[in-house]
Amino acid sequence: MTVPLGAYVAVSAVLFFIGCAGVLVRRNAVVILMCVELMLNAANLALVAFSRKYGSIDERGSVFVVFVFVIAAAEVAVGLAIILSAYRNRPVVDVDQIHQMKG
Amino acid sequence: MPVGPFGIDPLIWAPLRLIIAVGLALFLVLNGALLQIYLERKIQAIIQDRLGPYHVGPFGLLQTFADALKLISKEDVRAAATDGWFFVAAPALVFCPMLASWVVLPFAQDIVGTNLNIGLLYLTTLGSMTVLGIVIAGWASNNKYALMGGLRSAGQLISYEIPQILALVSVVLVVGSLSMIDITRSQAGPLVNVLILPFPFLIYFIAALAETNRTPFDLPEAESELVAGWLTEYSGMRWGTMLALSEYGNVTVVCAIVTTLWFGGWQGPGVDAIPLLGVLWFTLKVYAFILIMMWIRATLPRLRIDQLMSFCWKGLIPAALVNILVVATLALAFPTTKIPIAIASWVLVVLFVAGIPFVQRRRLRVLRARARASAAPAVRAVS
Amino acid sequence: MTFDFIEPVVFALLAIGVIAGGAAVVLLSRITAAALLMAFTFLSMAGMFVLLGAETLAAFQVLIYVGAITVLILYGVMFTKFSDRPRALFFQRQTPLAVVFVAAVAIPVALLSFSFTSASPRPGGGDLSALATSVFTDFAFPFEIASVLLLAAMVGAIVLTGRDDPEEAARRRRR
Repeated sequence: MTVPLGAYVAVSAVLFFIGCAGVLVRRNAVVILMCVELMLNAANLALVAFSRKYGSIDERGSVFVVFVFVIAAAEVAVGLAIILSAYRNRPVVDVDQIHQMKG
Repeated sequence: MPVGPFGIDPLIWAPLRLIIAVGLALFLVLNGALLQIYLERKIQAIIQDRLGPYHVGPFGLLQTFADALKLISKEDVRAAATDGWFFVAAPALVFCPMLASWVVLPFAQDIVGTNLNIGLLYLTTLGSMTVLGIVIAGWASNNKYALMGGLRSAGQLISYEIPQILALVSVVLVVGSLSMIDITRSQAGPLVNVLILPFPFLIYFIAALAETNRTPFDLPEAESELVAGWLTEYSGMRWGTMLALSEYGNVTVVCAIVTTLWFGGWQGPGVDAIPLLGVLWFTLKVYAFILIMMWIRATLPRLRIDQLMSFCWKGLIPAALVNILVVATLALAFPTTKIPIAIASWVLVVLFVAGIPFVQRRRLRVLRARARASAAPAVRAVS
Repeated sequence: MTFDFIEPVVFALLAIGVIAGGAAVVLLSRITAAALLMAFTFLSMAGMFVLLGAETLAAFQVLIYVGAITVLILYGVMFTKFSDRPRALFFQRQTPLAVVFVAAVAIPVALLSFSFTSASPRPGGGDLSALATSVFTDFAFPFEIASVLLLAAMVGAIVLTGRDDPEEAARRRRR
């Protein structure tokens, strides 16, 4: 008895939409960043699962996971930097209240 | 029915093996910590012309046992303002990765938890997990010194991980494997890796001192500035788990990595005849490095936080990058011989050590100029 | 009797860990707890990678997500002070709309994903050398681009958060 591929993909989908809901629902910018990380990670799981099942021997699918890691790291670094510099101007982290750029 | 080792059913043998392995690792960690604390006290005492512990047992050998008993029997104190679950979880978050990393340490030819093909990557991974526990400990303590200690520690550990991993990469480039067993096997005979790659060894050892919070990089728990850093609010066995067990366990793991990668691991005279002799050689080599770390601790003063960071980002990381560039180029240019790599690496060591005084003198000049410039208006105002 | 029953059990535990951790990130109002549970999700995810036979990726996952990203986010949480407020204020005003929208998309996708009924992925045998070969041959150029991206992110983060000259800042504080 082994775990079918569908189960991995289902977990990936559920986590992706949890992250999606979090991005839409939460106010705090840091939490939104965390939810984006969850979505990226869910995509990773799907990539690895499909790559292990259908991929050729040279792991092409998994390579994209490495790139997703890179993008996640860059995204969180720049995202936090933006949040912190916005926070320094006005001490709020709610995305509702960061609206200085609104016309 | 399949039969495992010792004629035991594999279904029973697998959990049994797990229990034996975890028990053995715990035993080694606990006793290693006791022994290392004793050694640390005695060696520092000898270097500083003191006696060290001598009351309990012959030569004070039982002093650390007495201390451990005291820690265990202490009341479990938790300040009211601390952050419940986090406060309890932090020691486990620091301790578990350390314990898990003992799985891949090769004590002798066949005495190893498992021969992971990514052993070295696994060790660095677990090393990086410690940071999380330390940040959580600093945050949960609800104490500004603990928080500062935790943040400092996180910055330090994340920064020093980079030269550490970069130094490991050059060894992996030359050896061609991440498995601890293969790396040990590749250095048969007297030609150990440190003769070929002394420069990454130097970088790794310095970075490892910082990674394990040893002097001169023990800023997170700098007693004179931060009380006890992130450990301030902890006492009793929680403190014991975090500081004594985890710190000394990490020191052992780091020294085991150094031994395996650069000094031939379990290999030594007479190992081929009696494989069990490998454990002795491995332990001796590991403890030699632990003693060197203690010697450094007794000798050097502590750095300041900005010195620590600038040494990492402006000194160690560029050096490690140059090292990778040189090693990779030479490994590509001369695939059959390691002699050019060895020569280049020794040259880099000489340049690095010789360059320190120059850089230091230049930095001092800049600092003096800046001090003079900023002092001048004040002096004028007074006179 | 063999160990076949272990894999589904481990998978079930990891799946519960992933989903519960993810849900906690969205639902908890304490951000530090959310960050720690996010780390837990990432660890469970690394366990799933191991189950799929991708140990190298699992190691990278822990190294990058738990060792770096979670710590970075904890830094962010600590630097942006966040006072306690009524629970309703943690969520946006469009919460019901968002929930309906996400559920409408999520439920079909989750059901659809079970249609991949093929047996378990092939057992791992170490993905290290295959991965490395791919990265450094076919994907060498994207790899270089990714490293440039990291460099740009690092410089950008330093520029965005870095204060001006420390002496300048000290002088401003004295004023």
